[in-house]
Amino acid sequence: MATPSPAFDPDLLRRYDRPGPRYTSYPTAPQFSTDFQSGELREMAAISNGDPIPRPLSIYVHVPFCASPCFYCGCNRVITRDKARGDAYLTRLYREIGMMSTLFDRDREVAQLHLGGGTPNFLAPDQIAEVVDVIRRHFSLSNSPFSRDGELECSIELDPRFVSPDDIRILAEAGFNRASLGVQDFDPVVQQAVNRIQSVEETLAIIEACRKHGLRSVNVDLIYGLPLQSPDGFERTLDITLAARPDRLAIYSYAHLPSLFRPQQRIRSEDLPSPAVKLGLLQRAIERLGEAGYVYIGMDHFALPEDDLAVAQARGGLHRNFMGYTTCADSDLIGLGVSAISHIGASFSQNPRDLPSWEHAIDEGRLPVWRGMRLDDDDLVRADVIQQLMCHGEIDIGVVERRHLIDFADYFGQALQRLQPLQHDGLVDVSATHIRATSRGRLLLRILASCFDRYLPSQPDAAPAQFSRTV
Amino acid sequence: MFPHTDASILADDGDPVTFCSTCAFSQACLSSGMDKSALAELHVLVEHVGPLHAGDHVFREGDPFGAIAAVRAGTVKTYMTDADGREQVLGFHLPGEVIGLNAIHDDRYPCNAVALDTAMLCRFSFPRIALLATRLPNLQQHLFKLMSRDIGVASLFAGDHSADERMAAFLIGLSRRLALRGFSPRRFQLTMSRTDIANYLRQAPETVSRVLRRFERDGLLAIKQRDVEILDMPRLEALALTILRH
Repeated sequence: MATPSPAFDPDLLRRYDRPGPRYTSYPTAPQFSTDFQSGELREMAAISNGDPIPRPLSIYVHVPFCASPCFYCGCNRVITRDKARGDAYLTRLYREIGMMSTLFDRDREVAQLHLGGGTPNFLAPDQIAEVVDVIRRHFSLSNSPFSRDGELECSIELDPRFVSPDDIRILAEAGFNRASLGVQDFDPVVQQAVNRIQSVEETLAIIEACRKHGLRSVNVDLIYGLPLQSPDGFERTLDITLAARPDRLAIYSYAHLPSLFRPQQRIRSEDLPSPAVKLGLLQRAIERLGEAGYVYIGMDHFALPEDDLAVAQARGGLHRNFMGYTTCADSDLIGLGVSAISHIGASFSQNPRDLPSWEHAIDEGRLPVWRGMRLDDDDLVRADVIQQLMCHGEIDIGVVERRHLIDFADYFGQALQRLQPLQHDGLVDVSATHIRATSRGRLLLRILASCFDRYLPSQPDAAPAQFSRTV
Repeated sequence: MFPHTDASILADDGDPVTFCSTCAFSQACLSSGMDKSALAELHVLVEHVGPLHAGDHVFREGDPFGAIAAVRAGTVKTYMTDADGREQVLGFHLPGEVIGLNAIHDDRYPCNAVALDTAMLCRFSFPRIALLATRLPNLQQHLFKLMSRDIGVASLFAGDHSADERMAAFLIGLSRRLALRGFSPRRFQLTMSRTDIANYLRQAPETVSRVLRRFERDGLLAIKQRDVEILDMPRLEALALTILRH
């Protein structure tokens, strides 16, 4: 499946780039309700066990702690240097693993395990290895490439400032085969402004260690739009990063929303690059990555053509869940730890976002479900369509009609109407058989996807003039 | 999704002279040209039950027997519980099929019947339908047919057959029964859980998945969650032959 490379059109990006869902799930988290509790989760897990071929499992473990606050961060995290908090957290996490594991038939194999945060390597390497071990004792987790669901994809987000090359060895021995390193920007001025001082040397040493110990994929995260970022400084960051040739690269946009994310109040808004400069950084990143041979996967993600993600996308086997893009086939996702989201069968459920509520539930011996939702048939059709768009940049209308027994034009009349202005702007081609993002539309997949979102108010999408106000 | 298990779609209530499309008796009556008054006589015996929801019982083992019931929409599982509390699945009853026939013998239901999804049923008072059958030979003949089919189905998986053969026979059996009621024989939904299928076929749940995965890999069928699509009917039928005999 040939997916067009993204074309950079500053005018379009300025008009359409606005805050909105990123569709790691559909429906998105704001639709979750506290009517959905642990009883509902148990029921959905039982139903998922009842499938004739139950789906493989994916496990996400959230480690909320960070030793130091990065000012750009909008994640759910707890700043502390007290290592004892990690121990206390793990004690409860293991109880949650125990409770959760009883919900699933033991022959259901874990295909994907991901540790995210916060900073997973706030925990010592031995502790992280222990987490994998506890999961291995409660679930069928195989490292064998001959296992029926393929090799376990075992990944971890790492802050290179707090991990040593030898730690990587321990993690590799524990079974980790992918790592994602936070870099953001190597420019010292920018690092100062976001409170994240990280040397080129220590970062490269960690990438090197990942390769040496046989990790099959290394990802590097960069951010554009950070305070004091300049074209020259960012160019150097790209030079250094591309020289290291990570298998995957994520280039995130910094969204300055200090009223929503308190840490961002420490960033001075006058230090932020102008919209024109910010878009220029993205443009330059896309050019450089293209020249270096990277393939655009979607959203903020790029990969080398031989990386699993690019290979999967080429053969139409790419998926997207809360952990981002993945090669794992449809799986039931178990989220563990504070704020983690599970996706079991036709349901979503989320743990409490604050540590005390999560701890309290576990201390009482309850599954810590805060809120969630059951998906109805309409949600499932739309989730499928949005997934196809986000992963492959196109919707095969015939496939959707056969799979869901609908008449596409009839069912999605309103969505097609919402797509019209985008079609007019050349972001998307709509034919009788396909809806396909153009090269200009590929950077705006989520805008295309939002046309199929039943929960978004329809008014702004129906009136194209509104878009021009967004930057 | 195949067939739609939404009760409101299937539960076309009929009227005094038109039977529901999935009625267990409609074939007997229609094919023999039963006159309108006879049809109406049978119809007054019918009591619509439901909708029942997944997990609701139609009857339980030991309940006094008074009526047989025809499934009108959804799936009903019959099962027994042994002395150790272990469940043994006896069968799955689809729209148009009758449950309770095995209770005639000693006036008590010898098993449990539970809805697996949203189910609608028609209850027929057994004394009254038996009485009516003495006057309507076609109805009597149909009742005998239903009873003998019930006995035949129960003994199907008793023999020594491979896991593949059992699964093939199970799927072909479902496919043929659904086709009889006008549903697609190729695409249908497994409304019963993996554990229930395993129990019915006397296999481990893992075996059910393993066999289906192999069938899928060999191109016999495609499966997505509970939806099954049979891709190679002749090969699947050939596998089922040792059990189904034809």
